[in-house]
Amino acid sequence: MSAPEPIDPRRDRAALSDDALLDEHEKLIGVQPDDRAHYKMLPLVMLFVLSGCVLFAATYLNRYSGHFDPSIYDENQLPTKGAPVEVKVDPIALGKRLFNTPGYCVTCHQANGQGVPATYPPLAGSEWVNGPTSRLIRIVLYGLQGSVHVEGRDFNAAVMPVFGQVSGSGFNLSDDKIAAVLTYVRQEWTNKSGPVTAEEVSQIRAAVGQDHKSWTQDQLLQVK
Amino acid sequence: MTSAPISAGPDDPSAVETSGRIPLLLLLGSALAWLLVSGLLALIGAIQAHTPEFLARCSVLNYGHVQALQETAFVYGWIANVGLALALWILGRLGGQPLRAGAWVVTGTLVWNFGVALGLVGIAAGDGTALPLLQMPAYVQPILLFAYAAIGVAGVLAWTGRRRQIMFAAQWYAVAALFLFPWMFSVAQVMLLWVPVHGVLQAITQGWFAQSLWTLWMAPLALAGAYYVVPKVTGRVLPGYELASLGFWCLLFIGGWTGGRHLIGGPAPVWISTIAIVTSTILLSHYLIVFINLRGAIGGPGTALKFISFGLAAYVLGGFVDALTSMRVVALTTQFTWFDEAQRQLAVYGGVSMMLFGTLYFALPRLTGRSWASPGLLRGHLALSVTGIALLVVSLGGAGLIQGRELNDAAKSFATIAADTRPWLIAAAGAQAILLLGNLLLAVNFLWTAGCCCCCCRPKAATEAFAS
Amino acid sequence: MKNGFLFFLGLFAALGLSWAGIVLGSNAQLGRLTPYYDANEGQAFPAPLPGVAAEGQLVYRDLNCAACHTQQVRRPDFGADQARGWGDRQSVARDYIFQSHVQLGESRIGPDLTNLGGRKPTAPDAGDLENLLYAGQGGMPAYAFLFERRKVLGQVSDQALQLTGRLRPARGYEVVPTRRAQELVAYLLSLNTVYDYPESRPAPAAPPQEGARK
Repeated sequence: MSAPEPIDPRRDRAALSDDALLDEHEKLIGVQPDDRAHYKMLPLVMLFVLSGCVLFAATYLNRYSGHFDPSIYDENQLPTKGAPVEVKVDPIALGKRLFNTPGYCVTCHQANGQGVPATYPPLAGSEWVNGPTSRLIRIVLYGLQGSVHVEGRDFNAAVMPVFGQVSGSGFNLSDDKIAAVLTYVRQEWTNKSGPVTAEEVSQIRAAVGQDHKSWTQDQLLQVK
Repeated sequence: MTSAPISAGPDDPSAVETSGRIPLLLLLGSALAWLLVSGLLALIGAIQAHTPEFLARCSVLNYGHVQALQETAFVYGWIANVGLALALWILGRLGGQPLRAGAWVVTGTLVWNFGVALGLVGIAAGDGTALPLLQMPAYVQPILLFAYAAIGVAGVLAWTGRRRQIMFAAQWYAVAALFLFPWMFSVAQVMLLWVPVHGVLQAITQGWFAQSLWTLWMAPLALAGAYYVVPKVTGRVLPGYELASLGFWCLLFIGGWTGGRHLIGGPAPVWISTIAIVTSTILLSHYLIVFINLRGAIGGPGTALKFISFGLAAYVLGGFVDALTSMRVVALTTQFTWFDEAQRQLAVYGGVSMMLFGTLYFALPRLTGRSWASPGLLRGHLALSVTGIALLVVSLGGAGLIQGRELNDAAKSFATIAADTRPWLIAAAGAQAILLLGNLLLAVNFLWTAGCCCCCCRPKAATEAFAS
Repeated sequence: MKNGFLFFLGLFAALGLSWAGIVLGSNAQLGRLTPYYDANEGQAFPAPLPGVAAEGQLVYRDLNCAACHTQQVRRPDFGADQARGWGDRQSVARDYIFQSHVQLGESRIGPDLTNLGGRKPTAPDAGDLENLLYAGQGGMPAYAFLFERRKVLGQVSDQALQLTGRLRPARGYEVVPTRRAQELVAYLLSLNTVYDYPESRPAPAAPPQEGARK
């Protein structure tokens, strides 16, 4: 412009027509034959900046991505090796919960394991509980009928129901649940005996079969 | 497509201005009305932030509602209307064709504004979705899609029918904004409202939508205007223009990936927030390129460039702050605080809105054939906007830092935090009042200018009107 | 850029890629998240919201409580969330699978609410929450419109709020919560993330723990 014009804030003058705008800018895009050997500084600087950003980004992503695992919420968590660890079921907790479910063991043998005098035998300190597991497992799997001598007294008034997955059972507890209950009972109150495994229960159930009736005391005493 | 020239002189009117005057003025007028509505709501919300008793008895205007209403009115009312108007105008000018489907644009504008108004009523009545940036009830959103398509048709026609084959950066940004909004909006609607995804996926999808709306719609609308106005007024080619396409594609491809921005430390798998952090950093190159291209605006002549240069500075600064606050060590203090709000205001109001104001100041004289009616109102708007935004960002930022520090101290109760941040929030409310006043000046100026234009029966040619 | 068609494709790809990566990708990972069955406890966690609480979630959404409250607890070394007693562990995706409208929130003008029903040592009860909603506190406004002040008919209703000081209604009047308030309070009390999922405590080789009791 030859003479400086007073700038009117109410209206901005345009200094470039739309055609010129399009043309002038289009010239900058694409390879200029004259400039092939002439590198401008600006694209180089931008290249460095962009590379720097990408390098930072890649490093950060690599370190903190949590391996794109949906269960990792902490970016500092180190990767777990191999298969995820299964949370083990605590047999004592499971056994306790089963024992204390109304309608199951607690109803008759009571929460303190003392039973009811002359009706339900005690479990705390019982020789049947702390004795051979082969007998104990049979009692719970198939039930007990008839008189039974526990801690110096006879109990004849009630029948122990069938708990295992055998015929005639109203409870159908799986082998690992039976093992859990027995593990719990054998270490609770004054009892200090070892655990019972689900394999033992399965073996006995397989050996004895599905159709055995409730055991009597005499039959049990013959089992080793 | 021929290579026939579009216009002879720099200030010659373009076909779009004579043919598109009514639809575009309608869009601009609606935009300013929504700007005032959202400004008033923002003021109410800012007062409620430090004085919770304010309007607490009114179930319609409780704080949660006011936040939702203000955000909706600002984004879907102000930015949508002004952005679409200016995008259509720019595409029309650079395409050299008259505005086609003008009746569709008018219909679309009326339906869109009806939809937004209905949406606000719905939110106030309790049907809001409580999803940031998607607050309107589900029944409103298809109305908006239809209206947008009606308005967008004109833009698509302007672009496909352009006289010159080559495309300038302003056109890339305008077309990107016009084209991408319906897709992201409809996908978000379907996945969040119609057939909602389960659990935390809602938050992830909403985050993707919010960031995409910001980077792939709001920012391009503003940048379209800035990229057009700066070379037009300065008369010079944009410096570093060969990088502009890199900046454009960088924004587009990377923008949506920052969606996990607000899920840092949250219940989403960590890769989502890590990707957001990483892409926020790469996005810095976009901000740098935009600054390189548009730095000619700083110190340039005229009103438009003053707004645009402020908007540019705010936009770039907002981008840097965004990248900074996405770093986990910084997010530890700033997440969930007023600081996030400050960054949002800086980017959306300070950046996008100011650039749109600048483009508006450049466009209106050409649309109406007259200069702006009052230089005083114009200068007033500029001063108040600049002051208001600076005060708002600083006060919200200060409140946020205090709040963040005290949130991380388990001994501080929320009553203490409220008391400590109160002075800053009072300043923020003052800033909102300043901004509202500034926008009132703009609205008056607009009505004065456009009203005088409508009063005159025959629109004058631009060169006649500009004869001084 | 001259080729219009390629340009369009580029735009589409830009949006589509981020959508596929973030939205579809996370959907593939988390879309089929099921409750976690604990054999020790004999039930699956989390539990679905009871009906009143589900209604309350809609009230929460209507009032946009998420404008001030978050529902996400961060891990212990990231902020003071757990030091403030907001939760014993960080929130994980599984906590939200039964929420129809997840509202994580982005702003903590008020405390986090993820585990309101499971706070230690004591969780607030319905009366406490109703009093808080009616009176407001600190930065929280009073939501008096959720309550009804009415004349006492016969004897005082058992749902009436126990108010003291200047909020106490005049003699012969009582303040009772409306249905919305009751639903909202039921929802807030149902927010409970006490159960410890395997992914929420990623420290390796911890001995198997009994599942946390409610």
